Amino acid sequence: MPGADKETELSERIEAFLSELKRCGSGAGSLRGSAETARETTSLLRRITAQARWSNAGDLMEIIRKEGRRMTAGQPSETTVGNMVRRVLKIIREEYARSRGSTEEADQQESLHKLLTSGGSSEDNFRQHFTHLKANVIEAINELLTELEGTTDNISMQALEHIHSNEVIMTIGRSRTVEAFLKDAARKRKFHVIVAECAPFCQGHEMATSLSKEDIETTVIPDAAIFAVMSRVNKVIIGTQTVLANGGLRAVNGTHTLALAAKHHSTPLIVCAPMFKLSPQFPNEEDTFHKFVSPHEVLPFTEGEILSKVNAHCPVFDYVPPELITLFISNIGGNAPSYIYRLMSELYHPEDHEL
Amino acid sequence: MAGKAGKQSRPRKAEKDEEEQPLQAVLVADSFNRRFFPISKDQPRALLPLANVSMIDYTLEFLTSTGVQETFVFCCWMSSKIKEHLQKSKWCRPTSPNVVHVITSDLYRSLGDVLRDVDAKALVRSDFLLVYGDVVSNIDVSQALQEHKQRRKMEKNVSVMTMIFKESPPGHKTRCEDDDIIVAMDGKSKRILHYQRAQALKKLHFPMNIFHSGSDEFEIRFDLLDCHISICSPQVAELFTDNFDYQTKNDFVRGLLVNEEILGNQIHMHVTRDGYGARVSNLLMYDTVSSDMIRRWIYPITPEANFADQEGQSCTHSRHNVYREPGVSLGHGSQMEENVLIGRNTVIGANCTISNTVIGANCVIGDNVTLDRAYIWNRVHIANDVKVKQSVICDNVEVKHGVVLNEQCVLAYNVVVGPDITLQEGTVLSMHHPDEEDDEDEDEFLSDDDVGYSKDKTKQKGSCSSYFIMLFQNEVHGTLQRGLDENISCDNLVLEINSLKYAYNISLKEVMQILIRVVLEFPFQQQGAQISTAQYSSHLLPLLKKWAPVFKNYVKRPQDQMDCLASMEEVFLERETHWAALVKVLMSVYQLEILEEEGIMRWFKQSSTTGKSQQLRRNQGLLKFIQWLEEAEESSEGDE
Repeated sequence: MPGADKETELSERIEAFLSELKRCGSGAGSLRGSAETARETTSLLRRITAQARWSNAGDLMEIIRKEGRRMTAGQPSETTVGNMVRRVLKIIREEYARSRGSTEEADQQESLHKLLTSGGSSEDNFRQHFTHLKANVIEAINELLTELEGTTDNISMQALEHIHSNEVIMTIGRSRTVEAFLKDAARKRKFHVIVAECAPFCQGHEMATSLSKEDIETTVIPDAAIFAVMSRVNKVIIGTQTVLANGGLRAVNGTHTLALAAKHHSTPLIVCAPMFKLSPQFPNEEDTFHKFVSPHEVLPFTEGEILSKVNAHCPVFDYVPPELITLFISNIGGNAPSYIYRLMSELYHPEDHEL
Repeated sequence: MAGKAGKQSRPRKAEKDEEEQPLQAVLVADSFNRRFFPISKDQPRALLPLANVSMIDYTLEFLTSTGVQETFVFCCWMSSKIKEHLQKSKWCRPTSPNVVHVITSDLYRSLGDVLRDVDAKALVRSDFLLVYGDVVSNIDVSQALQEHKQRRKMEKNVSVMTMIFKESPPGHKTRCEDDDIIVAMDGKSKRILHYQRAQALKKLHFPMNIFHSGSDEFEIRFDLLDCHISICSPQVAELFTDNFDYQTKNDFVRGLLVNEEILGNQIHMHVTRDGYGARVSNLLMYDTVSSDMIRRWIYPITPEANFADQEGQSCTHSRHNVYREPGVSLGHGSQMEENVLIGRNTVIGANCTISNTVIGANCVIGDNVTLDRAYIWNRVHIANDVKVKQSVICDNVEVKHGVVLNEQCVLAYNVVVGPDITLQEGTVLSMHHPDEEDDEDEDEFLSDDDVGYSKDKTKQKGSCSSYFIMLFQNEVHGTLQRGLDENISCDNLVLEINSLKYAYNISLKEVMQILIRVVLEFPFQQQGAQISTAQYSSHLLPLLKKWAPVFKNYVKRPQDQMDCLASMEEVFLERETHWAALVKVLMSVYQLEILEEEGIMRWFKQSSTTGKSQQLRRNQGLLKFIQWLEEAEESSEGDE
């Protein structure tokens, strides 16, 4: 039966994706970047929409929510998966509302005015069946995919406005977004880049090699020298793994040090992050915030005797509070950290914050 | 169950085909030794929980994540439990990328038997991974596999196996002392030139010919931990079939290295620095690997990853490596200090101190309990004021209040330990009677961990036809005759008898009985049935002395001695006239240390069924001998 085949094929893909998530990365950098994860999640969700059995929007949302919960449980620190699931849920809601013909409410958030004037419950169960809903949703997801592909370019296009000639720019570790950003600016301007190596994974080294191939003058410094060198730096540009709901960051470890040093010297800290990294999580979730990997990088296994007497930890991420950040550059332009809440409300529906 | 035809022993087909073959693995889910007795009497070792997940799940996860697409799991002891577990697990779901076939047989006695079966069933088509069911690892073998394939392509099929080792200094806690090895290798090609078990030896000998192998970079390494993961070519299975006395991997490696000039096969190695691989071969290793797992050395295989996809098993990871599954309830004032994993729905009382511990699901722990390096499995009840240090407590155990378990204690399944008892270090409590072992136990198991000797256990195979026994007996007689004529050494005699054993499919117990019979009847065969007792003894005793090592090889346990004496009794019961010789035989056998006092005494005291054997026991000479024996026993005990 073709239907059953499709279903098993679908579950096979979901399983394969889940195991990739669980096994991915024994190091700070996931073996695949966040952009690829986002793209794969979205294509998987599109496939679910196309192949799963559902008759109305409510069913589809249930299915997607269920799969989404499984995927986020697989690797809680990989937030792009959850973000994409929420985006798709929002897309479904919008398409449903459009099909029903109700006026698109630009403001989904609760406002006093809405509370007064709405009258009865505005809850619709999403149970109505529309024949074109599937096609519309899939089209909207395709648009989302196109948007995802263009994020890095969109961010890089803004580089010339922020980087001027003969500036000294500092960055930490390796971020593909920042790399593209700097390379784009290097086409027209001459500037220096100082890269902090970001122990213990030392991804700064790869970043420096890659930048120097484009004839950008690069210097690599150890993390301990960040404060010492900061007085000579004009701007700090960093990437991040996640942007949290309060405007804070979950970035590679060492970023907090960098941010504090920048604040002390009043150096602007610019974060280049595409919109799919924005997550409705707050930083007080103790258990899912962090990712600890094998302590091998910190204290090698060959140390022998000491290992049984000492606890070694190797955390991957750092929290940077929003007060230390000057500007967010994303594919929709530059924003202050205090504006993040607004951007979130445009991307996600409040009921989807908890999957 | 796969019995795919088309064994590809030589790459006659285009090499492209070989590269496209899915990677296969052979998982031996039985360790062929008794290290985990009495725990593994109730549950096979592969299903024992390590950090609340069965050990075989770790091995399968390792294989799947390294790209294996087809796994053959071989089980012997309690195979039905293993099969059931696997069928319920995520590995047997239709969506699993790794197809698992379970093959069970009661006849496997060693790794060699398993590989011979693999060869006989033609299961593997190209290079395969060989692992045991208790290997925990996160090594990515693709690089080692690449090197292996490259080597085989460069020199056609000379390299037979690649062993994977991990660098770790001597004395490291993850190194199992029994498994310590010294390896001499060629630094450039990574070929193993000499391989030896260290076994706490103070002096080691290396044959000089290994240094003449034409390379100029040699390394002698003692900093290697054997991960028990090997990449084997299909030739390995064939080699095991050809040499049926290869039983363990150690035999194989040594045999190959010794016969290198003749057969030209080589073994290479791959040393990994970053991955983790260890085998849980005894309880100390269980402790070490558990604590490595909790401290996240085996990332991405960690407790909260729930890679086995079990319902309700997901736990949260908090600081100081504290893992809690859902439903855990912690009393007031209790501290989970560091490196703790607590299973679901466990209730912990007030003012407990827990550190470096793994607790299973549905446990109830009382107040004021101190747990340090304890491994507690499911549904355990621990009452108040208990102290547990570095011990293993299995399922369904009840520990009443005031009990103190010192280091290295083991409480096996369903045990109840009474109030206010302190157990000494190294106490093992089990519901199984220790003597039960001897009776229930069947054939010999041969494994690398039984250093030096192999345990002989005999089993009655009812369906042996007496025709074969007659043939066997004649053959043994012929062998011994030739041994006498050509002055063959006892080792060779043992080898011949062993090969006859396999040829005629005789059980070990019967071999011994027939051997005794043949030897005792030897003089009669030589000189006719009418010789006098004196002539008989004078002919027989030197033969006994000469073949004493052969006997000692077969008579080891008390049970064997009983069987030997029973067989002797049988022979002499047929020849009443020669009962006087029995005494001399017993004396000589006792002095040659083939049999021991206790054995003979036990046999003598056994109440006999037939009138004849009762009469035998009343024989004067025999009574005198027994009396002398008792006095000798007393005097020897008096000396102590």
